[in-house]
Amino acid sequence: MRNLLGRGTARAALVLWTLLAVVPFVLILLLSVRSNADIYLNGLGITGKILPGNYARAWQGSAGTAGLTSYFSNSLIAAVTALVFNLGAGVTAAYFATHLSDRSRIWFTRLFVSSTVLPIVLMIVPYYQAFNAFGLLNMPVVIGIAYGALALPTTVLIMHSFFVDFPVELLEAAALDGTGAWRTYVRIVLPLAKGAVTAVAMLTLVFVWGETQLGVVLLQSGESQTVPVGLLSFQGQYTTDQGALFAGLSLASIPIILLYLVFHKNVTKGIALGGVFK
Amino acid sequence: MSTHSVITASDPGAAAGDAAKSTGVVPSRARSRSARRPGAGGRGSGRRSRATTSPLVTRLALVPALVLLAVFVLGAIVQTVRISTTDWVGFGPMHSVGLDNYRTVLKSSDTYQSLGVTLVYAAASAVATIVISSLLAAAVSHGVKGGRFYRVIWFLPGVAPAAAVSIFWTASFQPHSGGVNQVLGHIGLGNAHAWLGDASTAVWPVVFVTVWAGVGFAFLLLLGAMEQVPVSIYEAARIDGASTARQFFSMTLPMIRPVFVMTALLEFMWAFNGFTTVWAMTQGGPGTATSILPVRIYREALLKGQFGPASALAVLSAVVLIAVGLVGVRASRSKEA
Repeated sequence: MRNLLGRGTARAALVLWTLLAVVPFVLILLLSVRSNADIYLNGLGITGKILPGNYARAWQGSAGTAGLTSYFSNSLIAAVTALVFNLGAGVTAAYFATHLSDRSRIWFTRLFVSSTVLPIVLMIVPYYQAFNAFGLLNMPVVIGIAYGALALPTTVLIMHSFFVDFPVELLEAAALDGTGAWRTYVRIVLPLAKGAVTAVAMLTLVFVWGETQLGVVLLQSGESQTVPVGLLSFQGQYTTDQGALFAGLSLASIPIILLYLVFHKNVTKGIALGGVFK
Repeated sequence: MSTHSVITASDPGAAAGDAAKSTGVVPSRARSRSARRPGAGGRGSGRRSRATTSPLVTRLALVPALVLLAVFVLGAIVQTVRISTTDWVGFGPMHSVGLDNYRTVLKSSDTYQSLGVTLVYAAASAVATIVISSLLAAAVSHGVKGGRFYRVIWFLPGVAPAAAVSIFWTASFQPHSGGVNQVLGHIGLGNAHAWLGDASTAVWPVVFVTVWAGVGFAFLLLLGAMEQVPVSIYEAARIDGASTARQFFSMTLPMIRPVFVMTALLEFMWAFNGFTTVWAMTQGGPGTATSILPVRIYREALLKGQFGPASALAVLSAVVLIAVGLVGVRASRSKEA
């Protein structure tokens, strides 16, 4: 009897948290097609006429701002650059580190573990100084490289704990065939690591798609801003057009949520792999 | 108990089946773990076959990652420490001022106000996140129906851009027009709460959004650890008549202690260094009520041109954080079997 009661409470808690996790996104969608007056009357966006035009206004941005076309292309540039640097350097290093002697390998992982705890707040002043000195402020490509580097510890640690358990037999077979280390990595190891690479790529993307702390410092001109940095200026401009504000929030969230829903298995497993390490 | 092997072949739910096949993690894990134990193969060459790898290839392959880390992380930190001892104003030359910036910062009452807010915000966020996520993880690890579904859904708030969801919640917390206030109004609790506009309450909506976005990640880490606890232990407890709550506090929590402490610590550090949620919801206001250290550092440096003191503040906040981290790591290791 007591057990049944306990189960009921647990069940209710799970349903409650699920609603709390999902309902805000539903509300963003509902509010994104309402007029200002309707939103004032009903802050949940349940009643009122449907105005798809909010999306057009959000996409164009208000007068004097860059608009979402520009924010999206900047985010895309930063994301692709970050992925190239992050995966290119990180996955490779994570794999070849498994060939180090145990002692060097421990130092290698320690270096990256300690980097995970260093806050971005320690980086903003020197980045601003260096980017400014080299004329690299307001360039999505360059901030993409910084993002790729800052996401390296996560990528390296997750991939390393994946490669440490890589089936040795496959590598031995390749060695017997006389395949070189680099070829083995590209031809045999990488194709088999697709799932884990997808996981770290997703984590890097989520980071880049939401990062503002460096963004507000290094991307000050409107035309150079990424989606999340642009959203921060959105807020002030749309006090009189709440519908368009919510349309902007929905447009900013949809791509990354869709990607997550497609690759969620890799993401949740990747987090478990990273958690293993600490 | 080791914090390693969070996922093994016995991991039910999402980790099993096709997810496992797609990454190839699970089947190989248990086996090669045992092969990797120190002593099983000796140090270095015996651990696995690497006849084809010349050390040169290995070293070259590590270079890009190490260079990026050296430039963007280590180099940047050294430079922050350097700037913290100068009078740099954002342009022009830097002049050394010794430890003046540190003296200024340590004398300023704003620093302690900001540190206080940061500690309240970070501690409240970390505690609430870890409590909620460990209860949720305990429920799911006990085999509640729909575990796979929950895993996917609960992480959604952490995936969406923090700026976007923070702006949504800010609108929802507005008096009268905000959704939260309207719901409260309907159930007779009043619809005029101006939480974000009141210096004494502004931090709590921000904590709420931080927790809301953070639970999914903590839940996944804790669930991974809980699924490692052998089922036989619970069976024995059930025969002895231990209640679910009793099982949770006297068996589950002690067994997952290292992961539990690390997760709490991570959540604390992330909130301590957080920027986006606070900046999007309050910009540190009203006044300086929610001006946590990262917000204050940003304001000092970029908006006021006080790069020296801002860097000193950044260095000091990192020192505080590292101290907390060391204490936490010690806490997770002591009593560990």
